[in-house]
Amino acid sequence: MQRPVSSLGLSPSVKVKLVNSGLQFTADLLHLKPLQLSKDTGLSQQEALEVLQAVKTDGGGDEARGGRVPASLTALELLQQEEEMRSIVTFSSQLDAALGGGIPVGKSTEICGVPGVGKTQLCLQLSVDVQVPQSFGGVGGQVIYIDTEGSFLVQRVIDMATAAVKHCSLLVEDDEQRVAMTTFTIENILSNIFLVRCHDYVELLAELHLLPDFLSDHPKSRLLVIDSVACLFRQFDDLSLRTRLLHSLTQQLIAMATRHHIAVVITNQMTTRLRGSHSQLVPAFGESWGHAPTIRLLLQWAGSRRMVAIYKSPCQMDATIQYQITSEGFRDADQPEQSQSKRPRTHTDQ
Amino acid sequence: MVVLREGMCPGLDENVVRDLRAADIKTVEDLVSSDIEELALKCSLSYKTLFAIRRVLLAQHAAFPVSGADLYEELLSSTAILSTGNPSLDKLLDSGLYTGEITELSGGPGSGKSQVCFGVAVHVSYHLKQSVIYIDTTGGLTASRLLQMLQTETSNTEEQMEALQRIHIFRLFDVFSLLDCLYSLRSGRLQQASVGGGSVKAVIVDSVSAVISPVLGGKQNEGMSLMIQVAGALKTMAKDFNVAVLVTNHVTRSDNGEVRPGLGVSWSHIPRTRVLLERVEGAGSVSCSSFRSATLIKSSRQACRIKEEFDLQWWSRSKEGSSGKRKLEET
Repeated sequence: MQRPVSSLGLSPSVKVKLVNSGLQFTADLLHLKPLQLSKDTGLSQQEALEVLQAVKTDGGGDEARGGRVPASLTALELLQQEEEMRSIVTFSSQLDAALGGGIPVGKSTEICGVPGVGKTQLCLQLSVDVQVPQSFGGVGGQVIYIDTEGSFLVQRVIDMATAAVKHCSLLVEDDEQRVAMTTFTIENILSNIFLVRCHDYVELLAELHLLPDFLSDHPKSRLLVIDSVACLFRQFDDLSLRTRLLHSLTQQLIAMATRHHIAVVITNQMTTRLRGSHSQLVPAFGESWGHAPTIRLLLQWAGSRRMVAIYKSPCQMDATIQYQITSEGFRDADQPEQSQSKRPRTHTDQ
Repeated sequence: MVVLREGMCPGLDENVVRDLRAADIKTVEDLVSSDIEELALKCSLSYKTLFAIRRVLLAQHAAFPVSGADLYEELLSSTAILSTGNPSLDKLLDSGLYTGEITELSGGPGSGKSQVCFGVAVHVSYHLKQSVIYIDTTGGLTASRLLQMLQTETSNTEEQMEALQRIHIFRLFDVFSLLDCLYSLRSGRLQQASVGGGSVKAVIVDSVSAVISPVLGGKQNEGMSLMIQVAGALKTMAKDFNVAVLVTNHVTRSDNGEVRPGLGVSWSHIPRTRVLLERVEGAGSVSCSSFRSATLIKSSRQACRIKEEFDLQWWSRSKEGSSGKRKLEET
């Protein structure tokens, strides 16, 4: 069957010129030389060359060259890939158990909650946790933290890092872990967090355009935190533009997460939805944004307790877990304060 | 508008093409709609040659009518119905997914669309032993969930691995990659994917709205055209290769608060059958139940608005007599 020229990834003006000169299908273009093409259609030489390259890699067939014709993998290969990728623990063992090991690498997670419930605390905790060395069952990666509200507090990170280092040093069992502990220090933890401050949505979009290059230069990056995306997009007048921007943001983020093996964590705020006389707190940006993240965590208050609910996950059941924020960071609730009495975490074959 | 080229049919060589171009005949349409006698005089070509060329080109490019009876015979012999694996959904869909058609699942976030897609993929791959092509545009596909679902069907690891190998996964995140993938599947990779064992019987795109909604609207003028091209590619693939196509869509809220599928009215004509999935509202603001309700909003075979409830845990249910797994009520 013939493939129409308008389905190629070229600029619309080029496609209009091609169609106007009668070249509607890619099969018609296969036999032409660049000079002839530019003469017939009025395209510049450069554009004609691009058109023919696009057609050639399409008609050329089955090798996945540069991502033009996508490579497929079977579910078995994907399973093997997934088993090699670890998750980022949250230091709350109940939440980790409910999430199947922690925040998964290669997927996007959304954390929504009312103000003050602990979203930024969880993000800071994850920035520390992602750096736990692999010999302790962690991921051992770097973090890019995009801060839009100005809520990144270095002192808090130092507190959490101190607690994490203390916790790991109590778990040291063999030489490999001892060696890893020499690099797992507070200074190193802080130097592996790359902080970006964005003040409006244009800066955020620009930063996301530059990120793939940054990620290729820093292949050890394993976490991208955007805290928070709601802050930048709430004062929009043109709602359809906002929806489009959010959708394309989503696709960019999930493409980056898959290609560079990073976990993307986004923070969102809550808004009130009125249904008749009944009002309900729901995450901001509505239904269409809800499809964007792969996993959604809802942080809320139940009386005086803080609860986290897994609202959407493709591989785990919905669950609600209580947690608390201590001076050491994000922890399970009702656990005794001394860290020695915590059972050591072992990662078997998650 | 197909451009005339040498070699398209016997008798159409380079000289003839050049002479015709000189007389301003560039495409097949121009040739077929012009007067042969006049053309023969103008181009100094023989009447017989032009007549023969025109006859061959007409035969190559015309569509041929098929009688209704023949069409019915063909449909009866080639259409298959693929069960989704969940009896309540099958009842809603008039026993399952029909090959040669597009079925759409729409629903809000967390309503279970991806879970149903996983269930269908596992069922087709394990029970029917046919290959499945799964195009994932949202990153929601985890092979460990597929394995979990397979583990409730069988505890034999060999069979699980075989079933996993029959599911071919493409991960794409924008509309042009999706079009590249669909056209390359049509031009031959579908046969390649069948080599593993069993032909491809189902193509699942999860979700089609994630790649199309960024290009719709605003000052972009290509969005609708790309959407209709994706639809055309899926439809011809379904018809020509006898596969069942399952797509997922997001939902939007209309002005009076009603939930309806996304991508607008133009897309609503594309799928033959449309199902809307919703969470069953429990007490409290966040219900943690796994029950979902499915409503049939468009069907050419059944009355619309029928509703069925099903349990997402159906695909994790334990078999009778297996050890240690949590027991769930059968729906």
